[in-house]
Amino acid sequence: MSARAGDAPERPPSHRLRFAVGLLVASALAVGVGYRLLDGALAQGARSAEDRRANVAIRALAEVVDRAGVTGDAVRAAVAAWAKDHPQQAAIKVVAFDGLSLEASTDPADTGDEAAPRRLRREEKDLYDRGQRLRAAVETNRAEGASRKDEVERARLADGSLSIAAPLEKDGAVVGLVQVQRRPPPPVKPPSWLTALSYVAVPVAVFLLAGLVVGERRAVLGVLAVVLLAGTVWGYGAQSAAKLERGRRAVEEGIAGIVRDEGAKASAILASLSLPAEPPLDPARWDADAFRRPYGVVRSDGSVDEAKVAASAARDRTAVRNALLLVGGVSLAVLLFVGLGGASAFVRTVRTNRVAYTYVLPAMAGMVVLVFFPFLYGIAISFTDSTIYNTNAPLTDIWVGFKNYVSILSDFHVATRDADGTLVFNYLNFYWTLWVTVAWTVTNVTIGVTVGLFLALVLNTKGLALKPVYRVLLILPWAMPNYITALIWKGMFHQQFGVVNQVIQIFGGSPVSWFETPFTSFLTALATNGWLSFPFMMVVSLGALQSIPSDLYEAARVDGASRWQQFTGITLPSLKPALVPAIILSVVWTFNMFNIIYLVTQGEPGGSTEILITQAYKFAFEKYRYGYAAAYSTVIFGILVVYGTFQNRVTRATEGI
Amino acid sequence: MRSRAGEDEFPHLPLHLVLVLATLVAVYPVLWVFTIALSGQQSLAIADLPSDPTVWDRLRAIVPWPKTVTLSNFTSVVTDQPFAQWMLNSAIVAILTTIVGVFLACTAAYAFARFRFPGRQAGMMSFLVSQMFPGTLMLIPLYIILVKWLNLGSSRIGLILVYATTAIPFCVWMLKGYFDTIPKELEEAAVIDGATPSTIFWRIVLPLAKPAVAVTALFSFMTGWNEFIIAATVMDKETMYTAPVGLRFFVGGFSQQWGYFAAGAIIVSIPVVALFLFLQKYLVSGLTAGSVKG
Repeated sequence: MSARAGDAPERPPSHRLRFAVGLLVASALAVGVGYRLLDGALAQGARSAEDRRANVAIRALAEVVDRAGVTGDAVRAAVAAWAKDHPQQAAIKVVAFDGLSLEASTDPADTGDEAAPRRLRREEKDLYDRGQRLRAAVETNRAEGASRKDEVERARLADGSLSIAAPLEKDGAVVGLVQVQRRPPPPVKPPSWLTALSYVAVPVAVFLLAGLVVGERRAVLGVLAVVLLAGTVWGYGAQSAAKLERGRRAVEEGIAGIVRDEGAKASAILASLSLPAEPPLDPARWDADAFRRPYGVVRSDGSVDEAKVAASAARDRTAVRNALLLVGGVSLAVLLFVGLGGASAFVRTVRTNRVAYTYVLPAMAGMVVLVFFPFLYGIAISFTDSTIYNTNAPLTDIWVGFKNYVSILSDFHVATRDADGTLVFNYLNFYWTLWVTVAWTVTNVTIGVTVGLFLALVLNTKGLALKPVYRVLLILPWAMPNYITALIWKGMFHQQFGVVNQVIQIFGGSPVSWFETPFTSFLTALATNGWLSFPFMMVVSLGALQSIPSDLYEAARVDGASRWQQFTGITLPSLKPALVPAIILSVVWTFNMFNIIYLVTQGEPGGSTEILITQAYKFAFEKYRYGYAAAYSTVIFGILVVYGTFQNRVTRATEGI
Repeated sequence: MRSRAGEDEFPHLPLHLVLVLATLVAVYPVLWVFTIALSGQQSLAIADLPSDPTVWDRLRAIVPWPKTVTLSNFTSVVTDQPFAQWMLNSAIVAILTTIVGVFLACTAAYAFARFRFPGRQAGMMSFLVSQMFPGTLMLIPLYIILVKWLNLGSSRIGLILVYATTAIPFCVWMLKGYFDTIPKELEEAAVIDGATPSTIFWRIVLPLAKPAVAVTALFSFMTGWNEFIIAATVMDKETMYTAPVGLRFFVGGFSQQWGYFAAGAIIVSIPVVALFLFLQKYLVSGLTAGSVKG
């Protein structure tokens, strides 16, 4: 603390203290996040290494059992020999589909009466099911020539051990399965927290020492703190990257060793039981993914393919670099916020306005978690290539920059000329949909305001009988849930049974198939939305009309103003403060009026009556192009913000909030 | 002709004609739903037309009165279909949404109206801007947050939280406009009498703002009762559907059960429409007070 503690509260702030606290918080944040990421990456690496080791072992075992003929004493002898060589494998079970028999088992429960060979018991149905799944997977993948279903099943049990199963084959057909339950591997050592701590403590200590020399010079202190923070982030990042790379190399070497080892053990068992040794074993193929496709990192001679290891190490480095940039950016912001006095000003402000913030906090917290954060997250998705197939991938892995925006906004092929010269519109084009949306909004709001205002004027007539009855009935369309309204109108526009076509036929017209041309389809939605939106404008206008003092009109009449002059001179100006916000509101509502288009026209025909918001929905939930749909939605938001700003300039509607 | 008392009134007859016509247009679809619901059938035609219909046949087909009146659609939609469960879900969700939403909106709006604090302008503007967030942009992140992170998939709590917060901005703006019109002198007098800020809020301001609170409640209730996209996305289990999600199943895709739909639609609409009509006098004053600044 400063030596002048106890002075008046207006004492100048200590830049040294602020930057020191800022550096402490920022580097602790950066290193803390880095530590968690490194810990996660190491654990993930250990899991995938264990998976690969398990895979090599089970493939080797399956190879031996295949050669032992899947059924018979040879299999039991081979499994017994195998179990002796592999203390890591707690329970080995071999199941043959033919006769539903448990051919061999090293499970301690399967001794005495329960010893193999015997029929599978009812409780062991899951074992049989697992085998059938593998058989189906192998057959499907073969039939499709693709790798879609797992041919080696892994399941992690609650105690961290791995249960793994592979198919057994005879003459190209899957005839059984071998399943191994492995003992849990030793837990992964977490990264050293002492190292992490030193990456926080050292720069702070350096800063404090340097601060003694520099004194209260803000610029120098700031630069120093930023440089130290950058050093911390870079240093811890580089150290983590190196640790990851060492880990990866160790894993690859270890797997290569296991491949050689399992190959030797398998050959020895084949030789001792005089099982067929031809064709020669190819242990390198055992290091494979769940579709039994070799990774190819281990060569046939048991050595490691350096190029492949280097490539995966490079991928690790890219991931670390991306994380570094992100963490570095955030922690730099924290440093500057605290260092430049933002934090202490913040604390002071919160303290003086305690009551106000307490009242705002609950609503704000809810908004942040469930409105603002999803919004920002959605914008982040818009810069990725997110689809239904990669929802679990981290955003940085599928980052594509502005690609989605470019492909939406730079595509001007709204219409092409056909061979016979007619225009053919591309209804999926953004600008077509934009045009439909603008037309939709303008027509709807115009109809709403005109009809609403007109009815309000009529209803406002003094002494009109039945006024409350009319009012209640006219509000009805607004009161109805709009998805119900939409479905009702869709029914009424039905080509064959719909009421609208019946009316047309009464007047001698022929029935219209409403949803087959863009224009008529648009009209159906317009009718629906017009019907449900005029009451809002009517209610707003009516309220405003009633608040106009009647002496204004009397004075006007004394001056001999005509009815039209009264309307333009008194009524409209008095309505303006109520109508303008209502219009702004209803423009935004109509622009995003999802339910009506989605339920009434469904974009028919061919997406021509889609508005932007429903189009975005279809990209997301019918085509599953999440990234593209998010970019589309962001563009919609941009349009609305531009509109709002413009409108605000013109009307000053939000003045004096 | 023009007298001082302002009798240059428009003749009432044409006004009544206009209003009757408008009312017919407004009410017809509602009557149509009742007709389909009471017909006891699943068809969306009011009357079957003969192969060579006359004008009278066609007129009959648009008069909203069923050939036979039966309540069978109502009884089977409530008993045979899981519709009662869906209504219950909707009721729980909408009522709790109202309580949570009104509470959050009232406190925030009061702070915005009465206190001057840094971030006030930004807060109000951010609420306003949030009204422009396209729902499609929020849907995927909301799904991830609710279902994957908070583990609230197929749960009513998740929906309640989402609805209550999405209703906040509109409610806050409206309430804030109303609070602005309540004279500050009342509160200043209470302060002199030794009232704490919370007493002032609960005992003085809220009772005075009843009309605006009523509109807020109505708006929150309607949000919770009518919303269907988020509900359709988040609620996976059929027993947890809300009424809007369930209703859509009657006439969506390949099913064309218009009778069930109409009966369900009427049952679903009755609470909101009743509430709406009951509160509509507040609605007018609340809405105009919110937009016309005092």
